[in-house]
This record gives sequence, structure tokens and C-alpha cells, in this order.
Amino acid sequence: MTGSQYYGPLMGAEARSHFDAQLNEIREGLVNLGTLVVENLNRAGEAMRETRLDLIPQVRAADLEINDHYYELERHTFEILARQQPVAGDLRFLVAATRIVYEQERSGDLVVNCVNMLERLSGFPDVPVINALLAQLIEAAAGIFTMSVEALSTMDPESGVRLDDADDEVDDLVSRYYTEIGRAADTIGLEPAIALSRVGRFLERIGDHAVNIGENVTYVVTAEFPRADHVTPSDEVDPEQAGPPPRG
Amino acid sequence: MNESGDMTTGADQGTQRVPEPVPTTRAPVVQTSPREQHLDPNAAMMFDVDDLNVFYGDFHAVFDVSLDIRQHEITAFIGPSGCGKSTMLRCFNRMNDLIEGARVEGQLRYHGTDLYAPAVDPVEVRRRIGMVFQKPNPFPKSIYDNIAFGPKIVGFGGNLDDLVEESLTRAALWDEVRDKLGDSAFALSGGQQQRLCIARAIATSPDVLLMDEPCSALDPIATLRIEELMQELKEDYTIIIVTHNMQQAARVSDRTAFFNVRLNEEGQRTGRLVEYAETGKLFTNPDQKATEDYITGRFG
Repeated sequence: MTGSQYYGPLMGAEARSHFDAQLNEIREGLVNLGTLVVENLNRAGEAMRETRLDLIPQVRAADLEINDHYYELERHTFEILARQQPVAGDLRFLVAATRIVYEQERSGDLVVNCVNMLERLSGFPDVPVINALLAQLIEAAAGIFTMSVEALSTMDPESGVRLDDADDEVDDLVSRYYTEIGRAADTIGLEPAIALSRVGRFLERIGDHAVNIGENVTYVVTAEFPRADHVTPSDEVDPEQAGPPPRG
Repeated sequence: MNESGDMTTGADQGTQRVPEPVPTTRAPVVQTSPREQHLDPNAAMMFDVDDLNVFYGDFHAVFDVSLDIRQHEITAFIGPSGCGKSTMLRCFNRMNDLIEGARVEGQLRYHGTDLYAPAVDPVEVRRRIGMVFQKPNPFPKSIYDNIAFGPKIVGFGGNLDDLVEESLTRAALWDEVRDKLGDSAFALSGGQQQRLCIARAIATSPDVLLMDEPCSALDPIATLRIEELMQELKEDYTIIIVTHNMQQAARVSDRTAFFNVRLNEEGQRTGRLVEYAETGKLFTNPDQKATEDYITGRFG
């Protein structure tokens, strides 16, 4: 028995269709929460690229909605845990769901942090090479987070590895972006340089959260986290910002 | 007795399946946010119980119970042995009348009518408020006659074949027995027999089903089938279930009443209602410590 309806055809599904419907509600809730984060990231991206300060309140309002969904989804998951006595794949899915909603909610906060920087500077300095890299970075972060949403939709066991590979692109972009900020620091001034760097850091973290979501999807399906040795020695691990310790 | 309200017939309450995979395109949030957890506060009242006391001779079995039972909900009564939950259940269709020396005091209204008023016919009460027992107890008759027997007695004038099929379909048994309706009911498995008893109970068009430990004699798979069936039945009926199995109450019910045993002034063990709440609330954050101790297995 490879588990329930939320990641594949189920033998004897009629036996617990009510429970299966609840599990599907959680999975749909995760997909929708992730979609809201991607939408808000795109909104914040437009604000940053086009200096649309008028979008900042919308970004904040959307994050409040994300928080509400997070609380509700987590509460619903706890109630199912309490009432249905899940085991095996069902238990892994629900425990992973409590971790995934956290990753999503945290990503939503990072989106707001980005526009906070934009607001502080009343618009970013106009350095074409930095702007171009920032636009790419926003797109890459939205892209990898979209992949995390697709992972929840398909429950593909390869999600963890795939997201981790995609994150390399985000990390590459961030390094190049930092380099250009360093070069322009004297021109644009210290405070803008720091603010731009922090935006880069926030977007990079969103990528890391997306990877964690992918790894949790792999865990649900295979009962194992992607191997810790998948992380290459050159990958920088920031103890403060590192995700959960490797399992399995 | 009042009119029992809408009794739809033949509604096939299929469970909706969500297609695979979940689409990632943005759907309206209002539709896709987790299902509303709190029960409809305006759900119509089925039973209204006020300060109910039950005595067996000198023995005070149930002390001052007040609670409401809402229509189209599943209400579970849980608690340790001797807490009065089964006694309480039997009050709802006057089955305690059949016990020598039993006496009920207080109010128990069904659709607003006092169930214990002198003018009320207990036989009619038991037609409206059906019961399913702990041990499957089919009649020593054919599967068909088990269903047809009750309606025939109460003078059912419609098509019996249709009624038998509809009752068995609603009890999720039709597909398994359609080709052997003439066989003895005893040839069925325990789980099938219990679903037959549910079909028999609904054949007389009740609007309430009382279930007294309906799964305690069944294996886990048969148990889950009955629980699944209950979810479908509540669309048409109101269900009260007594269960020793608190996990079953957690899985299946909308509201849960926790009963406990306490000693009264005379040192007698008397059943009391400790806490009555939405099941999600009771099993995640009960108000009473005694409830928490019981559901976490720390006593009882």
C-alpha cells in the first residue's frame, strides 16, 4: 500500500473517503497557500522593478491573508491529527504539512521584508546591471517557489533533488548580484548597498524554503529525506539560516 | 408528534473525489480555503434535553443532564463504564420504558414535543427514532424480509421491492446482497449483518438513528465501513452514537458529550455529563481536566 489518494490511486479508497477528502483539503490548502506566496512575490517584484511604491500596501495586505490561511491550515491539520489517528503515509503527510505551512508562511514574510527595503529607500538606485540581476533574481525566486507548489500538486518523489538543483541557479545569481553591489557601493552609498544586499538575501532565503518544501514532499512519498550528502562541500551553510538538520 | 421535517428519498450521497493532481492555477480562495470547521450554529434542534434524571428503582443512574442534539449531525456519547451513556441513549426512544422500575424525570423534547407526555405513543416514537444495537441482531429471516418486515407491520402501502433496494442501497449493502436477497440474514458477515440492521432501521423512515456501540463486535475494516456509512447517513438522518472507543467518536462525530461517574451524597455511582462540545474542540482543547484525563487515557 503506497498510501492515499493525495499522491496516487488508492486501493479501497471508498473505505475512508471522508478522511481522504480531508487529506485532499489539506493538500489543496498547501497548493493555494504556495500560490498566494508566488502571487505576492510577483507583486513585490513589480513594485521593486518599476518602483511602484503604491503596491507596497497591497503586498502587506496579501501577507495578512497568507497568515490567516497559514493559521487555519495548521489548525485544520492538528485537528485531523487529533481525530483520525493517522499512520504511515497519512501521518508523514500531515506532519510534513505542518512543516510546509511554516516554510510558506516564512517565505511570505520575506516577500514583505523585500518591499520594506524598497520603502525605506523610496525606490532603489538606478544601476542597470544591478537592476537586471535583481529582476532575474526575482524571477528565479518566483520560479523555484512555483516549483515547490507544483511539487505539492504532483507529490513527485524527485521534488527534493529537483528543487535543490534549481536552487543552485538562485545562489549563482545572488553571488553575481552581491559582486555588482560591491562594485557600485561607492557610487550608490552604504545604506542603499546594504538594503539591496538584504533584498538579495531575502530572495535567496525564499529559494531555500522552496527546497525545504520539495524535500518534505520527497519525505512524504519515500519516508526518507533527500540524502544530506547531496549538499556539495562548496555549498555555504550559514548556521543561523540553515534549514532543518538533515534526516535519514 | 410533530412533522419530522424533510425526509428526502433515494438521495445517493456519493462522496466527492478530488481529481489528481491538484491544479496549481489560482483558484478562488474562498472556495479552496480549508473547509469551515465550525458547525452550523443555526442547525435545527432535534432533541432538547433539560435536567434529565434516570432512575432504576432506587438507583440514580443519570443525574441532571442538559444538552441539545442538532439535526443532521452525529453526536457521540463517550465515557467510562457505568457513566450512564447507554442509559441516556435509551431515553431518546423510550427504550427505558421496557425496563422494570426505570423512571425518567426532567424534560426531553423531540422537535419541541415532550417525548414522555402521556399522549405520546412509544411505538410511534421508536418508528421515528430507530436503534442499532451493539451486536448485529438480524431476524431469523431472509435478507429481503429483514427489511420488509417492519414496513409491512406499519402498513406500508408503496412498492416493497423498491423500499428494500433503497434501504439496502443507503446502508451501502445493496451491491453485496442484490443477488441473494432470499438468503438467510445469518449467512452474512458481522459487518454486513450490522449494515443490514441499519438498513432495517431506516426502512421505516425514521429521522433519528440511535447507535449503541454499533461497531464493538466488528473488525477494524468493517468498523471503518460503518463509520463511512454514518457520514453518508447524516445527510438524511440525525445520529446519536454511544461508543467505548473514543477514537471512533473523534473520527466520526460532530459533537461529543463526555459522561463520567461520580458518587452522590448517598455514595451511589451516578452518571453525569461533564463536557459537551464540538468534537474538534473536545479532542484538541477540552475545557475540563476530567475530559482531558479521559481522552488522553490517564483514567477510565
